[in-house]
Amino acid sequence: MKNSKKVLVIDDGAHIRRVMELKLRKGGYEVITAMNGEEGLNLIASQQPDVVITDILMPRLDGQSLCKETDHLKEKRPFLTIVITNRISPDDRSWINEMRDTQLMEKPFSPSRVLACIDEYFCDE
Amino acid sequence: MKIQRIGALLIVVFLIGISVVSSTLIRYEKRKRTQDVVNKGHYLVTLIALHSIRDFEGHKRAFFLRTLHEYTSSEGLAYCLIHDHTGNPFVVLDPYKLVSEIPEDIQMKSLYAVALNPQTYQTGKSGQTIYEFAKPIFENGEQTGTVRLGMMPAAVSLFSVEHIGLLATIAFFIFAMVPFVYYGIQLAFKPLGSLSMRVKNMIEGSASGDACVSGESKVDDVIESLDRSLNLLREKYKKLEAASIESEAKEGVIAYEKKQLRNILDSVQYGIVITDHQDRVNHINAYMLHLLNKEQGDVIDCPLGEVIENEEILTFVSNHEAASQRTTSRHIEVSLPELAPGEVFQVTASYLSDADGSVIGKVVSAKNVTNEKATERAKHEFVAHVTHELRAPLTTIKSYNEMLMDGEIKDAETQKEFYNTISEETDRLAHLIENLLNISRIEMGNLTLNKGLVKTDWLVKDCIAAIEAPAQKKHVTIEKQVPDNYPALMGDKELLEVAIINILGNAVKYTPENRTITFSLREEDHTVIFDVIDQGYGISEKDLPHIFDQFYRAEDPQISDQTGSGLGLATTSEIVQLHGGEIQVQSALGKGTHFSVRLPKEEYQLEKQ
Repeated sequence: MKNSKKVLVIDDGAHIRRVMELKLRKGGYEVITAMNGEEGLNLIASQQPDVVITDILMPRLDGQSLCKETDHLKEKRPFLTIVITNRISPDDRSWINEMRDTQLMEKPFSPSRVLACIDEYFCDE
Repeated sequence: MKIQRIGALLIVVFLIGISVVSSTLIRYEKRKRTQDVVNKGHYLVTLIALHSIRDFEGHKRAFFLRTLHEYTSSEGLAYCLIHDHTGNPFVVLDPYKLVSEIPEDIQMKSLYAVALNPQTYQTGKSGQTIYEFAKPIFENGEQTGTVRLGMMPAAVSLFSVEHIGLLATIAFFIFAMVPFVYYGIQLAFKPLGSLSMRVKNMIEGSASGDACVSGESKVDDVIESLDRSLNLLREKYKKLEAASIESEAKEGVIAYEKKQLRNILDSVQYGIVITDHQDRVNHINAYMLHLLNKEQGDVIDCPLGEVIENEEILTFVSNHEAASQRTTSRHIEVSLPELAPGEVFQVTASYLSDADGSVIGKVVSAKNVTNEKATERAKHEFVAHVTHELRAPLTTIKSYNEMLMDGEIKDAETQKEFYNTISEETDRLAHLIENLLNISRIEMGNLTLNKGLVKTDWLVKDCIAAIEAPAQKKHVTIEKQVPDNYPALMGDKELLEVAIINILGNAVKYTPENRTITFSLREEDHTVIFDVIDQGYGISEKDLPHIFDQFYRAEDPQISDQTGSGLGLATTSEIVQLHGGEIQVQSALGKGTHFSVRLPKEEYQLEKQ
């Protein structure tokens, strides 16, 4: 079942993309990556990932805009979004609470925790 | 002068005395003569009426008239008329031609009265007063005629012989008495004069207060009482004068302090409006007037709502009132787009109370906090950037380390890659912290240059060594161009190294693989110039003016994909400026960038060293 799940990692840091790709593949997920919000938005539309892991501060299109633009897609096809940010502000909590199936995680994060979070989401499903 | 005045006074008093005495004498004489005329008139008319009418006929009439005229002329006889029983004048004695002037009513009353009191009238010509007496003549019980007699009092003359002596006596007496009366008055009023002098001296402020005013008379007693009262008054006056001076001084101090307070209020860099308990403007300072674009005369005593025409502020002030937080001061931040576009004001409202705690007015202040807000925003952005830049390498280190520790990376090559990444990110973190510390020191003014002789050969060598590893990783060649004789300069070698490494590091980072970077050193007009020329992606015209701004990073993906804090060039710029140097940049997208760091040699100081 896991093998059929696709995870999109969007981050402007190559190291983050690299480590998440390794960790999630080892966890049994198919991983695709994007280096900015704009590229990520295109991949969400074309690849229809089951999980989107995104940073907030990114060039071109930031994580907040990405989430707001993709939230309506979850009505027809629910998917999990994990927002990973350097610093959680009250504003971030506020807009994330308004999003469907969206969780917040602060850097520096543990790849194992991210994997556990995704596993838990699919177990509940 | 004083004698002349006394002489004049005596003459005046003497003349007044004589006038009074003369007037009294004349009135007495007039009354006496009138009485004499009345008495004589009654007597004569009665005497004539005793005669028969026939006694005045024929030669007897002439004899009668002559006798009457001769013997009564000095007694004041004016005329004598004897009428028969029909009223016709039977005998007429009119030596002064006055009969024609007798008024008719007098004549009628005289002819038909039985007995009359004398009638008085004045003649038209001379204005002489005439007393007319009339009496009927009876014979055998029948009236046979009427006697009318006019008498006039002799004119009264003050200087008639019989009065001259009396008048002279009285005049002499008055003349003799005047000096005595004057002396008496002087004597009686001498203490008053002394008192007057004392009062005058007291008023002039030169009174000794010891002038002897003594005496056994009642006047002296009164004067002594007055003197004591005046002494008391003088003391009170002095106290009042002192109090008045003190009061004036206090008023002066209050006026000065008030003026100072107004000056202070006008000099502060925020607007202040002070109202009374009815919310009418009592005072407004210069800043607020300028902000509201109003004149002082237009706003004093006007309601606050008409002066500050901003609903947000007025609502805040009225809500503040409703909340009854009279001892506290709150604030709101408002923008006034019509008065000061783009600026933010912090408005504060507080109450003014008197000693009893009763509210006597309000103070509304408006402070321009645009710069503070910008600084605050910049501070938040700085913290956010620093946090982001610090957490990025930390995240990499933590996650890579976790993967290694969990044994999830099995193959040796990936393990090596992970270890290298951890090492690079650690270096990056250290470099970032170093740049942050330098920026922080520069901004706080704590960065002092540890100047010394900098041998540029060592500087160049150390800089190249620092970027050699990443350059080799990208197969980027560093081409060094240096003169045979390396110039020396004055500076802080460690900071100069940081500055140049930041430029060289960027050149390596933003240059594609297998390209060349030229790092050259030259000397020109006492200036040492370091040139870093790369064949990298270049900087756009839009980004070029901002490359030395803190945390600024170009949005070009070729740039933004590379790790970077946006602090490197900002630090370099500050360090070069601290050395009195400058940086020049030329760049073209797709061709590369040329940085020139120009530093003064400071030879004079070098020789001194």
